[in-house]
Amino acid sequence: MIASILPSVSPGTLLAGGVTATAASLWLLLPGGRSGAADRTACWLGWLLGIVALASFIATGHRLGNVGEEAVFLTVALVAVISGAATVVSRSPVYAAIWFAMALAGVSGVLLVLGGQFLGVATIVVYAGAILVMFLFVLMLAQPAGLAPYDRVSNEPLLAAVAGAVLLGILSLSIGRLTAEPPACCLMGSTKAALLADTAAAEPTTAAAAGIDMLADNHVARLGGELFGRHLLAVEVAGVLLLVALIGSIAIVSRGAADAESAAARRAVP
Amino acid sequence: MNLLADVVAPSPLVLDGLVVGAILFALGLVGILARRNLIVMFLCAELMLQGISVSLVSWSRHHGDWGGHVLVIFVLTVAACEAAVALVFVLQAFARTGRLDSAAWQSLRESNLSRTIDHELPAIDTVPLKFPRLSPAGIEPAADEDAALEREHV
Repeated sequence: MIASILPSVSPGTLLAGGVTATAASLWLLLPGGRSGAADRTACWLGWLLGIVALASFIATGHRLGNVGEEAVFLTVALVAVISGAATVVSRSPVYAAIWFAMALAGVSGVLLVLGGQFLGVATIVVYAGAILVMFLFVLMLAQPAGLAPYDRVSNEPLLAAVAGAVLLGILSLSIGRLTAEPPACCLMGSTKAALLADTAAAEPTTAAAAGIDMLADNHVARLGGELFGRHLLAVEVAGVLLLVALIGSIAIVSRGAADAESAAARRAVP
Repeated sequence: MNLLADVVAPSPLVLDGLVVGAILFALGLVGILARRNLIVMFLCAELMLQGISVSLVSWSRHHGDWGGHVLVIFVLTVAACEAAVALVFVLQAFARTGRLDSAAWQSLRESNLSRTIDHELPAIDTVPLKFPRLSPAGIEPAADEDAALEREHV
């Protein structure tokens, strides 16, 4: 941890500073109804504060040991997080969709580093290839020319940014406590400890103990075996869900067209 | 009697993956709460799903089983269904109101909430793009009638 290099800054202070900087930067970056030069200044300030927040989150994180692995993970994670932030704060929905594609590339890199080879590729193919293109089609159908007024203002940007930053702080705290020693209450000879011991004995908790190496050969074949073996019924249900969604969207379109025409006629009359 | 010795702390890679998932989820939450464009709100929901996927794969690596991977595949499936149905709804909403604004449907709000009114909208901040001007050369082509259909700005 960098916190050991900088003994004056405790991890708690670092996390609090990161949460505050996150909230302030998101508030500055969200479309706030500012205009012209003030908006551009707020954007610059927001990105600067965001970099500070990211640095503090990286500092509270954990070193992976291997320099190459760490560099790769840091790169793809930064791509995912920065593009995600740009998705949220982009004024134009088209740019938001393009930034979301970039975030998907970062996320699939993170999944690859974490050992999900099939999922990394499937994210690109399904999300960036299919869902995002559908988004862009709808944008081209529905987006008026120029920036709409509702793209230049936000609902309660300060409250939203604070809510997101506080949630992020709570999640980081609970993730950080996973490495800490188990609390003393659980070490008593209580039923909880016995329960924990039972579950620990019943299912081994590490990859090494389970004897499954995610990065071994035949990754996709074994994932398919698991999917169509233990989860066969769920796969069937998912197929039915896809069919129902297809029929449902066609039904909504064909029934809603007539209603929309009448609504438009009603709007045109006065 | 250290019964918890078998419970191994997650590896640093798993913890960092969890942090990335948490950050993506929080960003998507902020977008859902703050943005008013229906399509951007929907993109932010997809961003939250991506955060969940990263967390699930991290836990799957920690536990050494395939549960997280299988769940992420189902998340992808449900996201595809959700996108199909929700985009149809968005198109219908656009056909009825002519806007992609979530505040266009504020008559559905709770009766004790006040109405959202845009008091003063900022002026449209158009920075004129500067392109290099080339000196004309050659024969002037015939006028393109399709050029009138193009937008000047997305």
